[in-house]
Amino acid sequence: MIYFDNSATTKPCQEVIDRISENLTGDLFANPGSLHTLGLKADKEYKSVTSSVASMLGAGADEIYFTSCGTESANTAVRGYLSRNKRAGNRIISTRTEHKATLETLKLMEASGYEVVYVSVGSDGKPDLNEIRDNLEGCALMCFTHVNNETGAILPLDDIVTLRNSVNRNCKIYLDCVQSLGKLDINLKKTGVDMASFSGHKIHGIKGVGVLYVKNSVRIDPLILGGGQQKGMRSGTESLVLASSFEAALAAAREHRETAFNNASEINSYLREELSKRGNTILSPDDALPFVLNCSFAKFESETMLHCLEIYDIFVSTVSACSSKAKKVSYVLLECGVDRKLAANAVRISLSRYSTMDDAREFIRTVDEIYDRYLVQ
Amino acid sequence: MSNVILARMGEVTLKGLNRGKFEAQLKSNLKWRLRNFGKLSIFQSQSRIWIEAKDENNPNFADAEAAKDILHAVTQVFGIVSVSFAVKFEGDFDRVRAESVEYVRTFLNEHPDYKTFKVEARRGNKNYPLDSQEICAEVGGDIIEAFPQLSAKMKDPDFVLMVEIREFNYVYSGKIMAHRGLPVGSAGRGMLLLSGGIDSPVAGYMMASRGMPLDCVYFHSHPYTSEQAKEKVIELARIVSGFSGSIRLHIVNFTQIQLDMLKNSPQDMITITMRRVMLMIAEQLALQNGCQCLITGESLGQVASQTLEAINATNEVVKMPILRPLIGMDKQDTCDISRKIGAFETSILPYEDCCTIFVAKHPKTHPSAKDVEEAEKNLDIQGMVEMGLKDVETITI
Repeated sequence: MIYFDNSATTKPCQEVIDRISENLTGDLFANPGSLHTLGLKADKEYKSVTSSVASMLGAGADEIYFTSCGTESANTAVRGYLSRNKRAGNRIISTRTEHKATLETLKLMEASGYEVVYVSVGSDGKPDLNEIRDNLEGCALMCFTHVNNETGAILPLDDIVTLRNSVNRNCKIYLDCVQSLGKLDINLKKTGVDMASFSGHKIHGIKGVGVLYVKNSVRIDPLILGGGQQKGMRSGTESLVLASSFEAALAAAREHRETAFNNASEINSYLREELSKRGNTILSPDDALPFVLNCSFAKFESETMLHCLEIYDIFVSTVSACSSKAKKVSYVLLECGVDRKLAANAVRISLSRYSTMDDAREFIRTVDEIYDRYLVQ
Repeated sequence: MSNVILARMGEVTLKGLNRGKFEAQLKSNLKWRLRNFGKLSIFQSQSRIWIEAKDENNPNFADAEAAKDILHAVTQVFGIVSVSFAVKFEGDFDRVRAESVEYVRTFLNEHPDYKTFKVEARRGNKNYPLDSQEICAEVGGDIIEAFPQLSAKMKDPDFVLMVEIREFNYVYSGKIMAHRGLPVGSAGRGMLLLSGGIDSPVAGYMMASRGMPLDCVYFHSHPYTSEQAKEKVIELARIVSGFSGSIRLHIVNFTQIQLDMLKNSPQDMITITMRRVMLMIAEQLALQNGCQCLITGESLGQVASQTLEAINATNEVVKMPILRPLIGMDKQDTCDISRKIGAFETSILPYEDCCTIFVAKHPKTHPSAKDVEEAEKNLDIQGMVEMGLKDVETITI
């Protein structure tokens, strides 16, 4: 099997499986909120895991909250900040290439009276800095994605933070780091963002755990109310096993980060070259994160290519669906100015630290065979 | 005292000498359809079927709310016209009066806003000391006395209390309309060409309503269509089987056949050629599985392949009759039936059963015999049919 759909989810790594198993079989099962010694033991471990995650992200332990997923983190950040800071301004800046977790939340904010300015995005996937500058006055919040999940486009974060600092220091920045975590070096304090979201299952952890970062000086309302766990920011019994699995996943990702990045760069260059040679169009920007490669296959609709590849036990993703009635095409690609016909044939190949050059060569060999066997002229 | 289901038969009761056969089939179908609702006794008397739990603790009979699923299942059995949930008890007329009042008490808890009612009575035994009108008057009087907020109203009352006095006594109110038709199994078996669309499941439902058991055939062309499209068709077959009883679904691997057609025949005729080969494969599968006809969801003029010329061109390749129950129906009416049988939401899931590359941009809408001959001159049609028949997966639903 060749699994090239790592931006959708990843296979849990051994370190995570071992950690979960330790957690579930030992005496760490107690409720960290219980007053007895068993509860205290779980609580200590939970705090230690939180500190460790915080330190790996360059944040303080009191700035990190565990959630159920990246989407919950995004919802909490955007809704929580605006609900708590009603006088911060009436404008939000974002782009139309954000993940649905952000876009749907912004829609709700629009319905409740906020003005959302969606700045244009270039063919390189980067938002227009001039448009951001023009709208920063009176702006409460900016929402951006560190690495786009469909194209791998990397946000010029430093430029945006500098711009914010020079025009409107009161404007906060929420950053979706779900795709960049473990792949780019993230130090939250240094970046200057105010809130950020992360997900465990994109870094060889498991589904069901995410992280929300909220800078110490920023106050937000919680989304989930209850017993007041995690300083009231996210009620519900703390799950040590999930938090701990996240920590194990992040530690492993950081350990392998540089080699994984170089490996992905090598595979990415090879795939770009081989796919382009065959008349296909690479839709990811040149300077995109090497783990994500979006390619429009000539004469093959996305979904057909996906199903052809699955015959050979190769798994990729596409947003475009093959339908004789309405063609569903990626809104992200269209927003980046990609031609509709190219977008209809777009397939996302996404790598992990376990991807190999052998996989890539096999992938290209298979694509050739698919053109021989399944191309309909 | 116990709760029972009363199911009324319709067209079956009009049958003459062979009525017994239809009734036996209907009872057998009910038994199959209700197989997951615990041990039941199903008996018939005149034009009614009574369904009771053998185990008095059967949760499906606890009350009207708990009985919703089983009542729904009974309405899906063709041959039944309507269903009611009744209380059954023994005893003299005093008991009838008391139970009627108790029934109304519970009934009003669920319908507190009801203000008017009437009583209707039936007697199995015409020598009963009271006639129907007297029963109505006595029971009605008791109810008004017990529930002063209610008043009797003969025309359009909020509810009608039915009192039936037979070997046992029964009281109930309201009835749920069923799907009528004839019991499945009373007609010969048909082979339905099932796709993932709206029409073909409705066509299957309609033929099953005339007593026809079904086999289905689906033409799958992975990787040009997805596994989800196949799962969708399996789900549609499951929905139809709620009415028709068990279905054998034959999934024909059609990929190579389609590719060969695309390569060796003109694009504007591909739909016709494809349908001709599909029908030929379906006819062979029908013969192998004891079916006497084919069924399609075609509706005249709906799409290019459903003009009269196109239907002529496809019809001529098979000897078996092709039943087209939707041929004269408006799409809206078909959609209404699709919703009624619970298939619509599945039918409109976005998994296509035919990839756009196999659909001509401008298909021939009025193909002539010469067009057909020309389109197939470079194709090994018989070879294609054999190829299709060699690669069939059969699932029993």
